[in-house]
Amino acid sequence: MTSAMDREPGHGHGALRPTFEEQLQSAKDDVLRLGSMVEDQLQRAGRALVERDVELADKVRWADEEVNTLQGLVTQQITAVIARQGPMARDIRELLSLYHAAAELERMGDYAVNIAKLAQQLAAEPEIPILRQIPRMEELCREQLRAAMRALVDVSEEAARAVCARDDEIDHLYNSVYEDTMALMTAAPDKVRQATHMLFAAHHLERLGDRVTNIGEDVVFLATGHIEDLNP
Amino acid sequence: MSPITIELKPRTKDLLPGMHLREGATIDAQPMAAEPDAVFDLRDVAVLYGDFVAVRGISLGIERHEITALIGPSGCGKSTLLRSLNRMNDLIPGAHVSGQITYNGEDIYHADVDPVEVRRRIGMVFQKPNPFPKSIYDNVAFGPRLNGFRGDMDELVERSLRGAALWDEVKDKLRANGLSLSGGQQQRLCIARAIATEPDVILMDEPCSALDPIATLRIEELMHELKANYTIIIVTHNMQQAARVSDRTAFLTVNVDDRLGMRTGELVEFDRTDRIFTSPADKRTEDYITGRFG
Repeated sequence: MTSAMDREPGHGHGALRPTFEEQLQSAKDDVLRLGSMVEDQLQRAGRALVERDVELADKVRWADEEVNTLQGLVTQQITAVIARQGPMARDIRELLSLYHAAAELERMGDYAVNIAKLAQQLAAEPEIPILRQIPRMEELCREQLRAAMRALVDVSEEAARAVCARDDEIDHLYNSVYEDTMALMTAAPDKVRQATHMLFAAHHLERLGDRVTNIGEDVVFLATGHIEDLNP
Repeated sequence: MSPITIELKPRTKDLLPGMHLREGATIDAQPMAAEPDAVFDLRDVAVLYGDFVAVRGISLGIERHEITALIGPSGCGKSTLLRSLNRMNDLIPGAHVSGQITYNGEDIYHADVDPVEVRRRIGMVFQKPNPFPKSIYDNVAFGPRLNGFRGDMDELVERSLRGAALWDEVKDKLRANGLSLSGGQQQRLCIARAIATEPDVILMDEPCSALDPIATLRIEELMHELKANYTIIIVTHNMQQAARVSDRTAFLTVNVDDRLGMRTGELVEFDRTDRIFTSPADKRTEDYITGRFG
């Protein structure tokens, strides 16, 4: 006995709904584009911080508008697909995951802007060395973001869980920045402003890392249908 | 394990006047697989037309005051299965049901059960509205008259038409022919006709497929209201409709036997509707409801 489904030429390849597949793919592409925009924003904000590059920080602040616009586009696109195509099961989970990922990416873009602003404030103060953990956090955040987007595209539960587990490294670095900035403020009260700016930058990166794990949780929901807290 | 003794509750017998067991007959007392308040309990049910097995291996429970949807591709046996629940298949020569279908704990295919009484308790609404070529009033009064109803007929007709959300539209023209109504109104008239005999269960076989979207939504809203008093089982090709109205959904598919050229319906998955339409457990369900298999 064979199932009639096995004979269906379109089975499993979406050949029956090419229009829907196209719309879903388009939303996916835009979310990926948003991801790479945010990654770029984060990298430039990090560089502006280390290199005291006020102009580069300005560019990051201006470019946030593009991130917001693209996120708005994704929202419209996904709303229309849901309204017109009536997606079910994995399709609706995928669209909701993409929708939520786009919202998280937009928020991450805001953190990048905050870091760019801190870079400008730091540049206005007498120069002190940037704590080495901060560029490391920024780099780790980008790696995590890339891995989460990869997991989303591949719908890989395993990869998503790995991303969430790795967030601890970012948290650990943040704790270390906290200790170092406290020590700096105690030892050198004239450097309190710079230390506070660095602490805030690290804090934004730590929050950004948490947003990445939210995308990881979305991927697990997409893959399994179960909602889990992977960053307790 | 100690033997289970189940005392037949008076309820079980009284619920079905006319459905008496043969004298001296016994009922196999088994723990119910379905939940305690199940109206129907199906165990390994198959429906055959002669040698042709239309559907087989169906085991599921239908809960009271819930709407259960049967979905699946053409030829999966969902209408056949629906019709087996009130013995409508008896009317087809050569049709035969195996396995067990119990209704409120009693086997509806028991030799001593009167199929007419079964159909009175388990009403049916069909794909195409089929009012009798009689007045609106007589359409509703037809069943009760046949059953020898001796109460206040006007009151029963009004109550049934109100129950079917049709009263306000027809109260001033109860003598008009039922066929003069719109398609959606005719279908609600058929629902009024079905509930006039005070059934327990209403079976609906694609009740909206001949209706426009607004009439469809009215029937769906009506189903939500009817749920308080009846148990509803609906066969639908419209998956959005199953998702909108039902509490539980059964997905059936059709298996093809190449050697015999036989197409047989089977149950793939039966679960709460929110689960079926968000995270079905079986890939075949997923493929069907997402349109990867049509």
